[in-house]
Amino acid sequence: MTQRQDLWAITRGQRRRYAIAVLAMALTNAFIFSSPLIGKYAIDVVHARDLAAGIPALADISLRLDAAAPHLPYLALSALATVLLTAVGGLCLYLRGRCTALASEAICLRLRETLFARLHHARAAFLDGADTGDLVQRCSSDVETVRVFLAADIVEVGRVVLLVWTMLPILFWLNVELAWLSISLMPFLVAGAWVFFAKVKSVFEVTDQSEGAMTAMLQENLTGIRVVRAFARQDYEIARFGESIRAFRDNHWRLSRLMGQYWAVADFFSIMQIGVVLIAGGFMVIDGRISVGDLFAFTTYIGIAIWPIRQLGRVLTDAGKAVVALRRIDHILATPEEPTAPVPALGRARGEIRVEHLQFAYAEGEPVLRDISLRIEPGETVGLVGPPGAGKSSFIRALLRLYPYQGGAIFLDGMNLADVNPQWLRRQFGVALQDAFLYSRSVADNLRVARGDAPLEDMVAATADAALHEAIMGFPKGYEALVGERGVTLSGGQRQRMALARALLRDPPVLVLDDSLSAVDTGTERRILDALERRRGRHTTIVVAHRLSTIAGADRIFVFDRGRLVQSGNHRTLALEPGPYRRLCHVQGALDAAIAADLRAGKAAG
Amino acid sequence: MEHYDDENYHDGFDEQRSAVRMETRLWRRLFGYALRHGRDLWVLGGAGLLAAATETLYPLITKGVLDDIEANRAAANLWFWAACYLANTAAICLAVGGFIAGAGKIRAFVSHDIRAEAFANLQRLSFSFYDYRPVGWLMARMTADCERLSNIIAWGFMDFVWGSALMLGIGGAMLAIDWQLALLALAVLPVLYWVSVKFRRRILSSAREVRRANSRITGAYNEAIMGMHTSKAFVREDANLREFRGLTGRMFSASVTNLTLAAAYLPIVTTLASLAIGLVLLAGGMDVYQAPIAVGTLVAFMAYVRHFFDPVETMGHWFAEMQMAQASAERVLSLIDAKPEIADSASVRGALAAQRGVSPGRRVAPDGGAARVTEIAMRNVCFAYDPAQPVLKNINLEARAGETIALVGPTGGGKSTLVNLLCRFYEPTTGQVLIDGMDYRSRSLLWLQSNIAVVMQTAHVFSGPIMENIRYGRLDASDAETVEAAQVAGAHAFIEALPDGYATDVGEGGSRLSAGQKQLISFARAVLADPQILVMDEATSSVDTETELGIQEALARVLAGRIAFVIAHRLSTVRNATRILVVKEGEIVERGEHARLIAAQGHYATLYRQQSLHEATRRWGNAERRRAAASGSA
Repeated sequence: MTQRQDLWAITRGQRRRYAIAVLAMALTNAFIFSSPLIGKYAIDVVHARDLAAGIPALADISLRLDAAAPHLPYLALSALATVLLTAVGGLCLYLRGRCTALASEAICLRLRETLFARLHHARAAFLDGADTGDLVQRCSSDVETVRVFLAADIVEVGRVVLLVWTMLPILFWLNVELAWLSISLMPFLVAGAWVFFAKVKSVFEVTDQSEGAMTAMLQENLTGIRVVRAFARQDYEIARFGESIRAFRDNHWRLSRLMGQYWAVADFFSIMQIGVVLIAGGFMVIDGRISVGDLFAFTTYIGIAIWPIRQLGRVLTDAGKAVVALRRIDHILATPEEPTAPVPALGRARGEIRVEHLQFAYAEGEPVLRDISLRIEPGETVGLVGPPGAGKSSFIRALLRLYPYQGGAIFLDGMNLADVNPQWLRRQFGVALQDAFLYSRSVADNLRVARGDAPLEDMVAATADAALHEAIMGFPKGYEALVGERGVTLSGGQRQRMALARALLRDPPVLVLDDSLSAVDTGTERRILDALERRRGRHTTIVVAHRLSTIAGADRIFVFDRGRLVQSGNHRTLALEPGPYRRLCHVQGALDAAIAADLRAGKAAG
Repeated sequence: MEHYDDENYHDGFDEQRSAVRMETRLWRRLFGYALRHGRDLWVLGGAGLLAAATETLYPLITKGVLDDIEANRAAANLWFWAACYLANTAAICLAVGGFIAGAGKIRAFVSHDIRAEAFANLQRLSFSFYDYRPVGWLMARMTADCERLSNIIAWGFMDFVWGSALMLGIGGAMLAIDWQLALLALAVLPVLYWVSVKFRRRILSSAREVRRANSRITGAYNEAIMGMHTSKAFVREDANLREFRGLTGRMFSASVTNLTLAAAYLPIVTTLASLAIGLVLLAGGMDVYQAPIAVGTLVAFMAYVRHFFDPVETMGHWFAEMQMAQASAERVLSLIDAKPEIADSASVRGALAAQRGVSPGRRVAPDGGAARVTEIAMRNVCFAYDPAQPVLKNINLEARAGETIALVGPTGGGKSTLVNLLCRFYEPTTGQVLIDGMDYRSRSLLWLQSNIAVVMQTAHVFSGPIMENIRYGRLDASDAETVEAAQVAGAHAFIEALPDGYATDVGEGGSRLSAGQKQLISFARAVLADPQILVMDEATSSVDTETELGIQEALARVLAGRIAFVIAHRLSTVRNATRILVVKEGEIVERGEHARLIAAQGHYATLYRQQSLHEATRRWGNAERRRAAASGSA
């Protein structure tokens, strides 16, 4: 669904419900408007002390009921009719509410699901530099703005239009002159509201921004509270936050003052409209041009109609907001989906990877990987090393086709990745990403992300290999413990090992561990490496690590530096070759020598 | 950021219970915030009264017009009534403008004041408070709850004044005009109030259901965005969408229920009101017919009856809203009331007050103690978060200026807790931490923490430019000093390589930096702070060995004359420490300098040996040989 969304287009499929709502609304108006008429005739009957001034049908019935004092049944019937008409009108009102609720909610349901699906099928690059909070806001508050428009505003505009259309014929039928007078101020009311709300839009925006700034600052402070404390910056933070909430307060206050001024003026016009009718109508009653009942009907009608009309300007500007919100939503819906390609016939890859002259950049002109060529055999274990920013994680992302690469080619089992369905491709991988994301679900559900039907034994086997099983058993609910704010909070090392266990549980052709062991102590690292050793040959394994101890045992080691592959070979060959790896080895070697010497010295002393 | 979902989190504040009884104590306290703006409150109350008075007058004017016409026909003085109407309208517009601006002001100021107090207290509260409070929980209190409560305080107050005055005014006017007719019309009132409160509560609680579903949906979007790489890597697209459909379905039915209830409510109220109008019409009409009362009276009565229900309805709304918001009120006040478990004692506060105004000397701290720290020591320190599970047992140690103390040992052994106690983020359950022989509880907390810099395992960077992130270590540092700190910390090279250098915005939570880069920045921050005591808690775990070695060398210069505590897994980091403490299961099981510990052939020597590359390659080699043997025999 890539077509542009506008306010009309999104009502597709729900227009029948809206039509019923409009019909119900028209009926509501008809009933509501008959009630003052009945009142009018009752007053006229009372005033003229003559049944002839009343509604003929009611007068007939009244005469039949009590010929001696027919005004009594006439009044009783009028009262009954008033209550009945309001009740039936109310029923229609309810029907209208129910229909618009169903229609607007169904539209939003579809909008939400489309958004969610789009976020899942968008290219990973879509999120680069994107503000998470802003995107979430588009999916939540902007959808809410559209919802309010669909559920309330559309209906309100429709109501006013119908109201005016129903009311005007009655008014003009009752008295043409007074009818003109009774709508004389309304255009000013609507136009004034329109102009005012368009003008204060900027004030609303500034207020929203200052609220956003306050929220952002609060969020920064609370997530970083330990840093605030570590540097004893409480007073600084209080002063900064103080400025921020003062700005929000003052903007909010300014907005209230403006609104106060506006509504004072708008109400003046609204109420004066009723006043004009009352006084002018009064003169006409004196002249005998209208009856007292007519005057009652006029003031009642204007009293009913003036308030929604007073709101019309605001509602119309809110419609403007809905248009803006929909445009913001459309920004997500318009983002291109990941390209797809046919799924290869073969079920499971063997795990042979060949990379030829790979060029990769997140942004044009800032290459991250330059001319990388390498080959990894099925079942081989390779290590990736290099300083921060060398391009190790980017290499993994290119391999998974999370991002498109700009030059060269990558082959899995001889198939060019550009021609392979990306979902199929990723099913061949089990990845522990550096910034692994854990869902706020149970531990078991987080593991099952890797393999939906994994039985408990398999999960336990995977977590045991990742040296995490005991920690999980220590949680209050074990594997059923919720991860995240509602449940157990995992330490950095535990998160890493969860990601690792998840990748292992997948039992994939290619296992990728991106910096998965940096936060564990050496004893634990050793346990995990032993477990990996037992699985050796089962998967093609790519390990990104900083400690030489983690990768020294790899079949081959690739050394990255500033986006280039500068060395490859196994530990023994690389250790002899001049280059960054040997420097690393020297650092470590010197340490090793020191360790050996220390240990010897220790033994001698012991 | 992790999404926090208020409706689905159990924090011990019971929504159901607190929605039943009205806790006047809570509301009195909250109203105290409005009382601080007494003048505005008077203006607001006055505007409410004026609005009620003028609204009461309108039907009387209408009645006046009609009665005048009735009585005097052509001689009726309609211009007089027009003037009355105009004056009344001017007054009501003044009132409307006044209460919108006034309530807006009080609302803005009350939420500001509550926020300011809560924030200041949050900055004082101990780490233990944050251990049990998710950031999202705190955010919800400080944003939505503050707005909701200040809204109730301002508008609720205004509507209470307006509503009760209007009911009194209308009731009084009706009784004065015709008390029998008045009682008849008012008979519907109790029913209406009852319906109003009942319905409002059901509407509000169904609204809560909607909020709950909505916040689940927002959480799902948050996961979709934050977890995009993971979801893609595990091909979770369809499974996630399936689960999401369940949420939107729930949202749909909750919303429709809520809207349907609201749609049913209004017709019921108007029908009840029309019942009263019908009664008036019937009884009043008969009266008019028999001549004691005039048409003007009848019309005024019908107008009064219609308007009388507005305040009943409005007050029903606020009453229900207050009941539903009580849990919010309790939560917000709990932020303000929470007492920091760690704070300056009375005598320290006295000393701080005595020193205030005295220009701080180089040798004297703000609390009157010595500014220099030459020794820090722990004496028989025990600590437990939960009494049943001691984390540290009987810790004794000392560190003097110029010394580096290394803490090693398995994860979960208590190393981080130990340094948290040193920094007085927590205090010992028993035992003492001594600064130059004095219990640190007798020194100023802020002074101590200003002189300690901590680099934590999970490096936190604030969104914004890198320069500002580092400068957080010393706010008045110049750009040159900041860059120098980055050089010392080994961060300069990668920062320079970024497109915008030091001006690079690191994104929310430092999302544009790798884990290692974040660690280097937070280390630079500590270097810039130039503290007397430096604590590094696995501060360079995601940095490669070569960079790390560079840091080691720089650190040796930085640390001259300071006290340092270093927690590390990489023993290369630890080797040159003055003393090494092996912490295991909450106890110091070995201590001493490197060579001695190696010689002792204990835990440290084992840990150390595990890190030898030789050891690692030997293990891999063994495995390789095993594998070769296995495939050979097969």
